[in-house]
Amino acid sequence: MLSIGLTHYLVVAAVLLCTGLFTIMTKRNAIGILIGVELLLNAANVNLVAFDRFREGGLFDGQIMALFIIVLAAAEAAIAVGICINVYKNLATVDVDSARQLQG
Amino acid sequence: MSLGDYLIPLAPEFIMLIGACAALIVGLTQTDDRRQFVSPFALLVVLAALVATVWLGSPTAETVSPPGLWLTSLTYFARLITLVIGALIVLVNWHQPVAEERGEYMAMLLLSLLGITLTASANDLIVLFFAIELVSVPTYVIIALSRTDSRASEAAVKYFFLGAMAAAILAYGMSFLYGAAGTTTLFSLTGGAVASLWQNGADLGPQAIIGLLLVFGGLAFKVAAVPFHVYAPDVYEGAASPVTGLLGFVPKFAGFLALIKVLSALNWELPTEVFWVLWLMAAATMTLGNALALLQTSAKRILAYSSIAHTGYMLVALLVGPVAGSGPMHDGVAALLFYMAVYGAMNLGAFALLSAFRSGDRDTETLDDLAGLARRAPMAALALAVCVFSLMGFPPTAGFLGKLYIFSSAFSLDAAHPYHGAMVALAIIGVLNSAVGAAYYLRIVAAAYVREEVQEAKPTGGMPLRWGLALCAIPMLVFFAWPSRLAGEARDATASVHQSIRADQGKVTAAEHGQADLASRDVIGSDTP
Repeated sequence: MLSIGLTHYLVVAAVLLCTGLFTIMTKRNAIGILIGVELLLNAANVNLVAFDRFREGGLFDGQIMALFIIVLAAAEAAIAVGICINVYKNLATVDVDSARQLQG
Repeated sequence: MSLGDYLIPLAPEFIMLIGACAALIVGLTQTDDRRQFVSPFALLVVLAALVATVWLGSPTAETVSPPGLWLTSLTYFARLITLVIGALIVLVNWHQPVAEERGEYMAMLLLSLLGITLTASANDLIVLFFAIELVSVPTYVIIALSRTDSRASEAAVKYFFLGAMAAAILAYGMSFLYGAAGTTTLFSLTGGAVASLWQNGADLGPQAIIGLLLVFGGLAFKVAAVPFHVYAPDVYEGAASPVTGLLGFVPKFAGFLALIKVLSALNWELPTEVFWVLWLMAAATMTLGNALALLQTSAKRILAYSSIAHTGYMLVALLVGPVAGSGPMHDGVAALLFYMAVYGAMNLGAFALLSAFRSGDRDTETLDDLAGLARRAPMAALALAVCVFSLMGFPPTAGFLGKLYIFSSAFSLDAAHPYHGAMVALAIIGVLNSAVGAAYYLRIVAAAYVREEVQEAKPTGGMPLRWGLALCAIPMLVFFAWPSRLAGEARDATASVHQSIRADQGKVTAAEHGQADLASRDVIGSDTP
């Protein structure tokens, strides 16, 4: 029977990363882009926890970092929503394509 | 060992943290006259932290470093420069956002400065990552608060989403570094000996190389290096001018400090692939930044592209790396730190001038807006000229010495250095780029001094802004005549970098390193030495 090893987790994380990048590049809605960013952060989390699980030694650096990244993701979501409301007040939409006054 | 032994060495950080919380609370009050206190209060907090820094002095071998941190002379230098330039930033931003939002604004500014000093002390990938995010996250808020029009919110959206993406890439890269090294501690500090994360025996295999490239990608965004520079011109243009002056310094300093940390954990021995990626990045950043600056008509966008070009010069010094026992003339890291200090002030000064005048009902932004400034406001035009000549790297300004140090450190590399030829070539590209840069910097000076006035420039902002502008420009001349003090501080600051690299001579195997690391944590975790 196939046993699940480190590589499997790394592949899952890489798939999450690519999904996140794809979402960021294709979505035009600011909230959609935020979801893409969250996927990227979770790719890092999966990696950290997997590396932690599959190494010898008693410390939990990776899991601790993953926990902190979850907190960071929450803080970033709060700021993202604040910025989106700010944009909505100015432009009456959260479509990032409509934000193109600054060009060069 | 008492709790105080851990807390007192961090006094400047605690002052900034408490000050930021207090500024938030003061900002909540409903009366305008109480809100007027926020800016003087923020200045007071920064100066108090500066006094605490000087009182504590440079950390010595006896200084206790709390877990996850390593207080060194680099910390001391970063605190000094951050707080001095932080005080100038507060002066320039004195009247910046509307009074209702000034409390939040100044609190975010203080937290950002706190993030820089923590980045300089970080001794753990976790602390390093979150210190950098502590610098970045408040700057997203600062941009959104900086002015009420839609351009500022567009700049905030662009900066936030790209910044959050860069942070996630950085975290993903760090997860690979953790996987390769098996620990997040950068330097283990057992019994006075310093051993870096990748002692020679450690695995610098494909996993670590992927991790390093991703980490450098994430940090390249923070310092606005090509190809992660695309946001810079738009964000710099969209944010209000005093904020742009801040954006040129705060994330860049934190990013370079983090790069210094990561590279010294590698003993500055880069895998060949990584070296060439950074080499190309430095060359492309200088060249593209300067070439695109030539095409701009807005003074703000010119300065934005010039800040990209300056990142390129600083990357040259970063690649030269530390050379023990010498000042910034030969030591790349010392030259980088010297340049960063000078760059922070001269860049802020240029943007302070843009914020000191309004053209009609708009903020001063284009070269036309600056036309004829010398006749209307000779002193302000002189300050602009000093800052711009300094950015150009023209004597008699400190910017000239900064460039001289960077390029001389590259030229004076030991001929036995594996990348000697490549670094000399990079320095030549840098010198040629400085010459190209003169073309667009001179357009700014020429607009102020030679051209006829297009539109009346009305002075705006108060006395603090004018003081901030003067205090950015005057040191440029002072440090040209008397650079030894700042250069000496920059040289001392690299001591910890040399220490971590010299420690490599006693080669420890990866396994021993891991055990030493565990032991060091036990010591730090317990209450007895």
